[in-house]
Amino acid sequence: MLLLGIDTSTRRVGVVLANEHGMLGRVELGSSADRRPPRHAENLAPAIAWCCEKCDVKLSQLSAIAVGTGPGMFTGLRVGVTTAKVLAQSLRVPVIPIPSLDLLAYPLRFTHALVAATIDARRHEVYWAIYQPVPGGVQRVSEYELGGPDELVAELQARAHDVILCGDGVLRFPDAFALLGGRVAIAGPAHASPSLTALAELAAARFEREEFCPPSEVLPLYLRQSDAEIEWERKGA
Amino acid sequence: MMLTTRGGHETESVGAALGEFLREGDLVVLGGDLGAGKTTFVKGVARALGVRDPVTSPTFTIVQEYDGPVPVAHVDIYRLQRVQELHDLGLEEMLDDRVVLVEWGDVVAPLLPSERVEVQLTIGDAPDMRAIEIVAHGPGWDARRDALDTALAAIRGT
Repeated sequence: MLLLGIDTSTRRVGVVLANEHGMLGRVELGSSADRRPPRHAENLAPAIAWCCEKCDVKLSQLSAIAVGTGPGMFTGLRVGVTTAKVLAQSLRVPVIPIPSLDLLAYPLRFTHALVAATIDARRHEVYWAIYQPVPGGVQRVSEYELGGPDELVAELQARAHDVILCGDGVLRFPDAFALLGGRVAIAGPAHASPSLTALAELAAARFEREEFCPPSEVLPLYLRQSDAEIEWERKGA
Repeated sequence: MMLTTRGGHETESVGAALGEFLREGDLVVLGGDLGAGKTTFVKGVARALGVRDPVTSPTFTIVQEYDGPVPVAHVDIYRLQRVQELHDLGLEEMLDDRVVLVEWGDVVAPLLPSERVEVQLTIGDAPDMRAIEIVAHGPGWDARRDALDTALAAIRGT
């Protein structure tokens, strides 16, 4: 088994290669510390090529493509999810889609606290989900949500439980979460981006269970949705 | 501020005058009928921001990005049908590190960040005449609004 994993749900471009024993190598480019415009479109394909070359992996050897589906940056997810689908389609291998919030929470599973994973959603909002550590992983105990930091703070206050907050959403609004006081710990920049090791591990487990998705059915997790039409009556005038 | 121009080069000059005041994170919403000069105006803005590549209409590509001293995203929503497609563009992400100019943005104004410059181009009585109205909204413009209006008034006087 050989897996290629991609996550572009934040400013970071992440690529990982893994086999049944674990991670072979990974490439990470960019973070919220880099104020230049993100370069998902320019950097993802070269990162995949370089990672494969250094790990002596040919694309034709891949068994499946894993991809972080967000929620997160639209510009990044478009590139990452499209690349995963195109590669899978052309190599005739399945896709293993995994929400990027899950990838943030998974590395923090060795705790008794709840884990709240956050991704910056712009417009002073964050994407978030809450997880409870269970043997071997984390179990999501909320929906995937979109809202102001104050909404997550209220949710955590209501749960009255020790919490670890991670992801670039909490780093963007440190003051909002400072209100929570002593029951909350904030994981720093090391836990700002969805974990590529988690992507490799979770995807390998799903590969074993044959939890696949046909490339055509893979969609980014967009929580900001609207069915409305744009009112274009002026255009006809 | 309301100005009148004759010919594309004058419209472009007004765009350049606005461009001098723009920085990363600024949104410019452009309204005006087909042929009113929205892209011409953007050419002037981009030139003032140091873009050296030729600026072409984004009607087909929807988004054109230019990497100069101040990165620019030139957006045209004319071909979009659904509000979802507007969300999917990720305009807020572009605003992290670019000046973003949106042609036909006035059609979806309530869905865009309220801090913005609104530019309305209207075709005048003569075919080469344009009335251009420029209004800067939001606290981010409080420190720049007077200087912008002064600069634009100087153009009007010439």
